[in-house]
This record gives sequence, structure tokens and C-alpha cells, in this order.
Amino acid sequence: MTLKPAPSKESIRAIVGHRFPGGKYTIEHWENFLLTECTGADPLPDGLAHPVALFHVPILGARTSIGEMFALGQAEADNSIHIESYDWEFFQPLKEQVEYDITAEITEADRRTEDGKTFDRIQFQFDLADPAGVHTARTTITWQYKRSSL
Amino acid sequence: MTVSVGDDIPEWRMESVQPERMRTMAAILRDPNPVHWDKAVVDEMGHGARTVNQGPLGLSYMVNMLHEWMGPTCIRRIVMRFPQFVMSGDRVIAMGKVTAIRSEAGVQLADCDIWLEREGSDPPLEGFATVSVTD
Repeated sequence: MTLKPAPSKESIRAIVGHRFPGGKYTIEHWENFLLTECTGADPLPDGLAHPVALFHVPILGARTSIGEMFALGQAEADNSIHIESYDWEFFQPLKEQVEYDITAEITEADRRTEDGKTFDRIQFQFDLADPAGVHTARTTITWQYKRSSL
Repeated sequence: MTVSVGDDIPEWRMESVQPERMRTMAAILRDPNPVHWDKAVVDEMGHGARTVNQGPLGLSYMVNMLHEWMGPTCIRRIVMRFPQFVMSGDRVIAMGKVTAIRSEAGVQLADCDIWLEREGSDPPLEGFATVSVTD
């Protein structure tokens, strides 16, 4: 796999404050069923969505994608991203067939060197609200973009 | 159920991490990272001809453990770090321990350390969770 060249530190810092278009997302029953099966659990009762949905629902609902998030950080390859952390906060349980309103932005982006390895640390924050405007959940994704050439 | 600091959360086991589930997950997530569905890429990276479990799937094992302990709406927060890959074929166990009990807006909350255990390695996932114990 050919690696893309490392971007400048300034171009990484410049993406802080980038806002995604945002939008709506409804978790369908089939989607929740398959997701839940992937986790090894039985379906949850009462139309509850498995909390693992808090990964892809905010991303797709904000009208972005994992691929675009890789590209914004100028990833050297699709397999060069390391997950630093996921921080998932639930103010209400997620449910199927509820149209969530999603907003998102990049809150941190900076270059770091640890143990002799250089990477760019980029943090994305997504917020979900239900149709009544009640803040339902927040997820903060922190990824490390490896820079093999630095 | 009475919950006390120092209590162990009943563990939740994934006897064998299945590559087919990673593929389904990759499709739902629209995840272009080949490490989740192309074992040849992972082999080239030096991790053997297996695929790498998605981070959210490893995190979901923690969710399942907490749900079985305190019910399907108990989770208030999970923070997870991913120091090592979980690979297809791995046998992993979600584990946890209560570190604090507190009350917030009339709800009793338990703060817990949580981690994924795999024989022969340090925990591939580790973090903490806050769970309602009054649901």
C-alpha cells in the first residue's frame, strides 16, 4: 500500500473548528437488529437501540463518513489510524425510529511525538438531540493518525 | 440490588471473536479500513492472517456486561481506550469493578473501572463507566 506524504503541522492545526454539515438520522429496526447481533447480545426490549449505535449514527447523521474523517486528517493510508479513545455519554437511551438531529465539529488537532513515534491527534465531537430538542447523547472520538515518514 | 465500592461486575464472555461480524459491522459503519475485512492486509502488517475487531465492537462487550448487570438503560457514560488490537478468533472477557457510589439529581450512580481481558496479554481495552444503579 502506497503511503501518502505527511501533511504540515499547520495544516493539521487548521482543521480545529471544522463543522460538519449536520443532519438527521433515524435508527431503523433492521440496522439495530444487525448491530446488536454483531455484539453478541440479544435484541433489547421496547425499541431501545444498542448503545454501540453511538459510533456510526452520529457520523452518518452529521453527513460525514469514516472515510471523510480519515481524509480530513490527511491519513497516510486507510489502515494508519489508531483509536486513542471513545467517550460516549448518554443523557437518554437511544431508540429505534426516533429522528435524531446531529451536530458535529473537530475540537482538537495537533501533532505529537511519543516513544519516538510521531502522529497527529484529532478529536471529533458529535451531539445528538431528539425531535423535542432534548440533548440525548454526546460522543467524542479521538484518533491518532500515524506519520511513518516523520 | 445493593452495590458497594469494590464489587466485581459479573463478567461477560465472547468465546470467539467472529470475522463475519466484523464484515457486517464494516458494511453498516461504511468503514473503509481493510484491517476489519481483509486478513491479507493484516498479515502484511505483521499481525497474522486474521482481521482486527472494530473498536466499537470491543466496546460493545463492555456494554453487554453492564446491561446484564444493571439493565438496558443503565449506562450514563463509557470512556474506553484501546491499547491493543482484538483479533478474530480471540476469546475475550469483559470485566469491571465498582470504584465509587454517588448520587446525582436523585439517581444513584456507580463509577466503575472496566476492561477487556485476554489470556496471555495485557488488557486490549480499558477505561471506565458510570452506570445508574437505581433503574
